[in-house]
This record gives sequence, C-alpha cells and structure tokens, in this order.
Amino acid sequence: MPKCNNRFSLKALAAAVSATVALGVVALPTLSHADETACSPFTPLIKGQEDLVYVWTLGVEGIGDGSDKLVTVDVRPGSKTFGKVINSLSVGGRGEAHHMGFSDDRRYMWAGALDSNKMFVFDIGTDPSKPKLVRTITDLVEKTGYVGPHTFYALPGRMMIQALSNAKDHGGVTGIAVYSNDGKFISKHDMPTTKVGGVQGDGYGYDIGINPQKNVLLTSSFTGWNNYMMDLGKMVKDPDAMKHFGNTMAIWNLKTMEPTKVFDVPGAPLEVRWSLKKGDNWAVTATALTSQLYVIKQDKKGEWQAHDVGTIGNPADIPLPVDISITADGKGLWVNTFMDGMTRYWDFHDPMHPKEVFKEKIGSQVNMVSQSFDGKRVYYTTSLLGNWDKKGKDDEQFLKMYKWNGKKLSHVFTIDFYKEKLGRAHHMKFQALNLSKLKPLAAAESQDLDSLKLALTEPKGK
Amino acid sequence: MSKQSAYIVGALRPPLRGGGFFSLLLTFALAGACAANAADTNQSQQITEQAGVVMDFKPSPPGSYKLYDIKTAPDGKVLDIDGKARSLSEFTGGRITLLSFIYSSCADPSGCPFAYLVFHNLQNRLERHPEFKGSIRLVSLSFDPRRDTPEVLKLYAGDSGNASRGAPWDFLTTASLHDLIPILDAYGQDVYIDVDPVTKKPLSTLSHVLKVFLIDRNHVIREIYTTAYLSPDVVYNDILTLLMEEGINLP
Repeated sequence: MPKCNNRFSLKALAAAVSATVALGVVALPTLSHADETACSPFTPLIKGQEDLVYVWTLGVEGIGDGSDKLVTVDVRPGSKTFGKVINSLSVGGRGEAHHMGFSDDRRYMWAGALDSNKMFVFDIGTDPSKPKLVRTITDLVEKTGYVGPHTFYALPGRMMIQALSNAKDHGGVTGIAVYSNDGKFISKHDMPTTKVGGVQGDGYGYDIGINPQKNVLLTSSFTGWNNYMMDLGKMVKDPDAMKHFGNTMAIWNLKTMEPTKVFDVPGAPLEVRWSLKKGDNWAVTATALTSQLYVIKQDKKGEWQAHDVGTIGNPADIPLPVDISITADGKGLWVNTFMDGMTRYWDFHDPMHPKEVFKEKIGSQVNMVSQSFDGKRVYYTTSLLGNWDKKGKDDEQFLKMYKWNGKKLSHVFTIDFYKEKLGRAHHMKFQALNLSKLKPLAAAESQDLDSLKLALTEPKGK
Repeated sequence: MSKQSAYIVGALRPPLRGGGFFSLLLTFALAGACAANAADTNQSQQITEQAGVVMDFKPSPPGSYKLYDIKTAPDGKVLDIDGKARSLSEFTGGRITLLSFIYSSCADPSGCPFAYLVFHNLQNRLERHPEFKGSIRLVSLSFDPRRDTPEVLKLYAGDSGNASRGAPWDFLTTASLHDLIPILDAYGQDVYIDVDPVTKKPLSTLSHVLKVFLIDRNHVIREIYTTAYLSPDVVYNDILTLLMEEGINLP
C-alpha cells in the first residue's frame, strides 16, 4: 500500500517551488467518492471512490488479542488486497468501542468507548493505510460529568462529542462536550431538561447533526449506561429499565448552543441525517423502539416541526431500526433493522411521504450502513452493543460490501470478523489515500487535479 | 452598530468610557447592531451567495452567546508588506484580529476571493465606527511565498493595506516555505500544490480549505470559520461580542 500524505524530499519538484525546501508525497493516479453523507459539514468529503474503510471493532474475550481495535480494509478496485484487512491497531483492553468521527481536516479520527469513557485519536493523515494512535483522552467524566462518548462531530478546530449518560446515576441525562483538536476540554452543554417550545426535555442524548445553512444543531436521544451495558434479553424483561429511553429530539441554535425547541419523538430516535441537497431544510431519524421514521422540517413560517412520516416493518415484531444512511441528493434512505437483519431502501423524493421500495436480508443481525457519495457502493457491519448482539450462531460479525444499481444489491465481498480474529464489527468510516482530493461539502466542483501537500524537509546538517 | 448608537458612544465624556455604566450602555447599543443596517445585511448575503454559500438565518445578536477559548494562536516568522522580518504574534495580540490564509492568484470563488470580500466588507463596516479604532485588525497571510513577495502583496492590498486605516489590514508573507509550513501546521491549514495529472509538474494553483481565525487581544483563537459558516454578518457580530466581553477600549 503506497504511502500518500507523508513528508519526504522530492528535490526535482522542490526546485519548482522553493530553493530551500522540498515537497512531499507521491500523487496517486486515481481518486475517490464516499458515506460522506453522515460526516460533519465542516469535514472535507471524498467525492469519488473511497480507498479505505475503517471499522471500529469491539474486542471479544478469546478472539485474537481481545482488544478493541481500529481495522483498516482496502477497497480500491483492482488492488491486490481489495476486500482484505490490511491493518489492525489494538488500543489495549475492552471499553465498549462504538462510534468515531473525523477531525475537521480529516487527518485525525476520534473514536469512543462507551464503558471506559476513553476517546482515542488516531493519525489517519500521515499514512491512511496505517493509522497510528497519537492520543488517548481520559478526562471526559472529570471535566463534564458525562459518560459514554458516542457521536464525534467536527467543528472547525474542535470536536463536538455527544455523550449518552452521566456519572451520577448512569441514567440517560447527559450532554455535549467540546474539545479542541489538541485534545483539551473547551466547554460542556447539557441536554434540555426543561420545557422548550412547550415540550418537556428529557435530558437524553444520542446523535448530532449540524446544518450550517440554518445555523442549527439537531440532537436525538437513546438511553444511559445502566441500559446500554445491560444484557438485551434481561433489559427487555425489566419494565423499569424500559422506561428509561429517550423520547425527544431538540433543535439548537448552533452559535449560542442553546436549545430552541424540543420535539416529542417517542421510542428512542437515533441517527440524525440532514439532507445535503442545497436549499433543503429537513433531517430524518428512525426510532428504535417504535419503528417510525420522523422528518424534522421547517414549515412555511420557518418554524421547525417533527413529522411521523413512515412505519418501518411491523412494529409489533420489534424489528429495531438502527443505522440509516441518506443519499447525497436526499432522494433515498437506507434503513437497517437489527433483529431481522434486513436493509431497506426508502424513496425520499417526497420526504413527507417516503416509501419503502426495496429490502434484503444482510445477515442474522445488521447494524451499521454506509454508502459511497455516489450511492453506488453500500457497506454493512453487524454489532450493536457488546451485550445487545445476538448469541450463538446468530452472532455473525462481518463487514459486507455490495454494489447498488438503484434496483438491487450485488454482493462483492464479506470479511468474517470472528474468522479473522478481530471481534465485533461496528462503526465504519471511509478514507482516501490522497487527502488533497477531499472537497468541502459547500464547494463548487472544480477540475480534478493531482496534488502534492506542501511539505518541508529540513536541509541536511540542520 | 447603527449610526445612532455610534453617536451615543462618541458623545460620552471620557471618564465614563471603558467600563461600568459605559459597558452596560454599549451592551444595549450593540445588541441591536446586527439588525440595524439592512444594507450591510444585503451586502453580506450577496457576498456569501457569490461564493455559493447558503446562509439562511439571521445571525444571533452580539453578546447573546459565548465564544470559547479554542487555543493559543501559534507564532511564526513572517514578512510585512515592507519586507521587514516580524513575528506573527505581533499581529495576533493587542487587538481583536481576524486572520486568514490566502494567496493572491487564487481564483476559487469559495476560497481566497470570498475571504477578501468578507474582509473588505468588514473593514468598511468597522471603520464607520471611530470608537473601534485601535481595537481591531485584519490580517491576510500568504501561503505562496514564492510569488507573493512583499512587493506583490503591496499591489494586491491596494488601499486596503493602508496603515492609517481605522481598521488596519495587514498583508503578510514569509521568506520561504521553511518559515511558512510550521505556521500552517500549527493553525491546521492544509494546502496542496496542484499537479498536472499527465506531466506531474506543479501548476500555479494551490488547493486549500478556506479557514478564517478570530483571535482576541490575548492571542487566543475564539472562533474558526470555514466556507460553510463564513459571512460578514456572522463575523461582525462575533467581533462585537468580543468587544462587549472586554467592555470596549475606546481611543
């Protein structure tokens, strides 16, 4: 695997730019587009073929080294290692690895552990094919009182982290922490627990979605440490435990970081996805317990409203909708249901009246779904939470890749994470080997050029 | 700030300036500032639209929010418009500073030209308020030291770079990439040299994600803007927020 964003002398090119310094990096001939639709709008995107898929993987006792790890998979078409694991970086120990997110320059990946409350920062810019752990942040609880770092969402120069719980009672009341890219705590922002816009906030949190065009932040809600670390079978039989799930979403003023309205969205609304189509003013979520799709949209007066727009599967069967993935043009939505292992494609041409138009079983269980920016490639992983995954033979753990032509999925490869002695496959993120090809979300399309990173080589003898 | 509120400030007797009653009065005066001038808002919208950026909201009033300390503004070796060696820290403290990284031949409508329009708008808007004189500066630092010599930047700056302006705009470059790159790295500003896909030779264009830094008088970065969240109205209100925070030092 060629290195891409490293710095080394390239004297011939150096002369063209400066007599005293050299440029770095070998420019790659091809590029990438990627599930860029879930990234922060402040993170530059891969608007082509993704080169790598990172999988944040839960360690399992007796499987390999048993540690949580960042697994790197080569997905470059034509590569000798296409569809293979090319790197695995253990962080030492198990802490309930869950989600991750890019820094605003996409040179670093932050990844969280819901039980240990550790936040790991990986350098994925110097050599994207070989991530390097450069920082472990351990002061989240001390600085904020929050527990369970879940969503990592970049702001310019900072990382916004949505927590799931709190250290006081390990319930669902929690908040958002902001750290600098250097890993230093900046601020904390509690989820609303009072009436805002006439609706009572429950204080719960889960995901974050920012729409900079509207200066808004949208949050959802799940459950606290007491539940997400409990065995799923035990929890569903515990009436008291089942009372402790979030039933709200909240829209915030991004600048002031104050919630401006709370919405009743019963049944644990999870992932938040804004339509990225220019001028669109809506976001979508799926409720885990009640199996509904909700759209949060501005009305004609500019007021934000929540709308129940569709039912996923048969709610009585508790299909448990989990991850969703919106197409870059906002016209389609993948919805995974964990219990039946199905992926479902919804036509969102009319977001107020979406329709399920396709479904297929991916495995005995399925959680995360990530699609490429052009929507032609779709990736799936399996793990929900260490204690919520299925048992026995139904505990399949894999990364699967499919091609999507708008009508059907065509299987391309499967990596069995147990057979490879890796663990439980959870969150996925794409990366390009050549970071110069990344494009800002809001940028106009420009001519596709190869690029070299400005880089410095110290003169010999210095 | 409206002309009326600026007039009130100017009419205050010197002993009342700088704190206490004055701060309170100015807080009320500034709170309505962003909505007071429709022409400024229209121009702000035009600038963002030209860059292809949608900013479909009314900016929060200055002082209604907190700008947190993000990090200390990194230092480095730079050249001013006269070719004199200076420290970047001379330009990131003592006044509220708006800093961007640019190169003079950039033609990306959502890049340097966008930043230039934003800065130009802010310079004119800020200069309408003499009470801000000495409190604010704008800084554009080139990441193309080979072509953006002090002489070239002097031409690029034109009257905007006139040191006697009420809101001075400093145009800086560096002596070499050796001096430049540590600054770019410390600020998290990625820059790539475009390369001809066929010949692999460097072209004259540089790819970068636009970043603009708002820095307080104490060299602390308080806000960072990218193309997705940069508009004159938003930045102006953030500058006023910092001024309100410190009670505003009047000349």
